[in-house]
Amino acid sequence: MKIVVTVKLVPDPNAEKRIDNGTKRLVRTGVETVLNPYDEYALEAALQIKEKAGGDTTVTVFSMAPESLKETLRKALAMGADDAVLLSDAGLEGSDVWASSYAISHALKKIGFDLLIVGGLSDDGSTGATPGALAEYLQTPLITNARKAEIADGKLKIERETDTGYQDVIAPLPCVLTTALTFGEPRYASLKGIMGAKKKTIAPMSVADLGLDHAVGQSGSKTQLLSFAPPPVRGKGQVIEAADGAAGAKAIFDFLKERKLV
Amino acid sequence: MKNVLVYVQHKNGQTPKVTFEMATQARKLADALGGKAHALVVGPGSSQLAETLKTYPLDAIHVNDDGDVDKYLLDPTIDYLDAAAKAIGPSLVLVANTLTGKDVAGRLVARLHAGICADAVDFKLDGGKVVAVMPKLGGAAITDCELLAGDYGVVTIRPNAFAAQAGGAGAGVQAIEKPAGMSYTVVVEKDVEESSGELALEEAPVVVAGGRGLGGPEPFDTLLKPLAAALGGAVGASRAAADAGWVPYNLQIGQTGKTVSPPLYIAVGISGAIQHKVGMRSSGTIVAINKDGQSPIAEFSDLLVVGDAFAIVPELTKLVQAAKS
Ligand SMILES: Cc1cc2nc3c(=O)[nH]c(=O)nc-3n(C[C@H](O)[C@H](O)[C@H](O)COP(=O)(O)OP(=O)(O)OC[C@H]3O[C@@H](n4cnc5c(N)ncnc54)[C@H](O)[C@@H]3O)c2cc1C
Ligand SMILES: Nc1ncnc2c1ncn2[C@@H]1O[C@H](COP(=O)(O)O)[C@@H](O)[C@H]1O
Repeated sequence: MKIVVTVKLVPDPNAEKRIDNGTKRLVRTGVETVLNPYDEYALEAALQIKEKAGGDTTVTVFSMAPESLKETLRKALAMGADDAVLLSDAGLEGSDVWASSYAISHALKKIGFDLLIVGGLSDDGSTGATPGALAEYLQTPLITNARKAEIADGKLKIERETDTGYQDVIAPLPCVLTTALTFGEPRYASLKGIMGAKKKTIAPMSVADLGLDHAVGQSGSKTQLLSFAPPPVRGKGQVIEAADGAAGAKAIFDFLKERKLV
Repeated sequence: MKNVLVYVQHKNGQTPKVTFEMATQARKLADALGGKAHALVVGPGSSQLAETLKTYPLDAIHVNDDGDVDKYLLDPTIDYLDAAAKAIGPSLVLVANTLTGKDVAGRLVARLHAGICADAVDFKLDGGKVVAVMPKLGGAAITDCELLAGDYGVVTIRPNAFAAQAGGAGAGVQAIEKPAGMSYTVVVEKDVEESSGELALEEAPVVVAGGRGLGGPEPFDTLLKPLAAALGGAVGASRAAADAGWVPYNLQIGQTGKTVSPPLYIAVGISGAIQHKVGMRSSGTIVAINKDGQSPIAEFSDLLVVGDAFAIVPELTKLVQAAKS
């Protein structure tokens, strides 16, 4: 079985981010680029499924990112993926969700898969729309927010989280899956994994390889970013030391009353 | 882009409040674009829900009680939406920013070759242009994003960001035909509802959230629930509390949990880590109760009371209860 996992490379979610008022861009200094956290969970799910399935199951990671971020992708190989494909092209710059999904789906079609695992949400884009768009372009069933997966007789049995509870669903392979964070904490790369990753392949791919019918990049996009600005500042508020419970409660109550919140 | 189409997410006719927020907003958008406001509601319980939707300012509600919608995972829903959208022509499709809504929106992006703006909290309309306003990077940036006028556009809507206001024309309810020739492969074998009729976190006007500082599961019931009840709100939690198993994951607020923006957020025993902050920082008023005056939450709360939650919360609950009676 061939499992492919999509991994986006994003500015470190744990870093405090600042938008430069002048350039209207994210201040990148001091902000590292890392694997999108949701995608680490997706990769963990793939590695668990591979371990259970055994045999000739492989895990390939795919990313669309500038070539300069190639070494960041190696972390996924260190965690245990077998190989990687990196789609890089100046022509992809400025692609919106539609254009990226369109391009990525063509790349994934070329790579081929029995099971495609996509992260639920990217930290920088945060649309959560990519998995649905990929499944449509690939004409493959989609199951999102999986927290348990089982494969038997070529069918995928999934327990998935919903807005109000959970469901058990069954789908044929090939299938597109997204994982919930309850699937399992991503593993750390071992020293052996890190050493081994140096020898694994990261195959390059470019737009010319994809045979697209529509333009991508900024010019092919269907949305246009008009402004990107820091939010109105939320000033530091009052700090009150409470002498005891009653005093603390009264301070809050008075504050809420003043703001007409009680 | 002239018309607006609202996708109504529901289970047996039960729909989140954001549906009515979208129905209200759809009217304003349709008027600005010179088109009509449509809604699509499919699956068991739809006809009944359409009666409630009729009291909102929509022009047309497309309905089918088709049982396949619940039997198969989302595929029938997407076919209905695709058909409805194509029948009314290049339009703006509004979808709630929920788990289901994200899936619906993504699939429509491909089906309709549409642009998407996700997690909108406002619109700017000028001369037929549709510009959605969205917080990004966990609220570190506010973006204005324009959808190309000639194409379809999809916008996911953050719950609690828009007002819901009944009234208006009284829409016509019409049956929508089931798209023919489709076969579905993802079968729902079991469907379990876990939310116990309590106010959904994203919709609550007040959220009282607890963290590791509460030390265990009991204080969520004995301290936070009574305060939330007195304020007419819901209980939420930090990831530390959810990871410890003190509360279910569907109460977790933050980067990897829910995003809430209630008029009032009370954080109890929560330090205010960046991953928590991004899920609640757009709340109207933020009040924190924390033993430590130096905790990061001091930087973004409107009021931080430094003290012991176990002493303060019961007293506060009493004051709120007394004020109500
Ligand atoms: C990829 C990733 C995603 C994450 N996603 C999320 C997320 O979605 N949501 C989230 O919340 N976190 C998330 N986290 C975790 C986050 O980094 C913090 O670890 C977490 O928010 C801490 O929870 P806490 O504030 O409850 O606990 P702590 O940081 O331990 O804070 C406990 C606080 O309670 C106070 N306290 C203790 N006793 C009392 C008392 N008696 N009275 C009053 N105050 C008291 C302490 O002073 C302290 O400030 C994520 C982390 C990662 C790496
Ligand atoms: N440039 C990209 N390269 C690889 N995967 C991506 C890329 N963009 C989005 N994805 C995948 O799509 C998921 C959802 O992203 P988004 O729709 O941006 O929230 C991510 O978690 C990734 O798995």
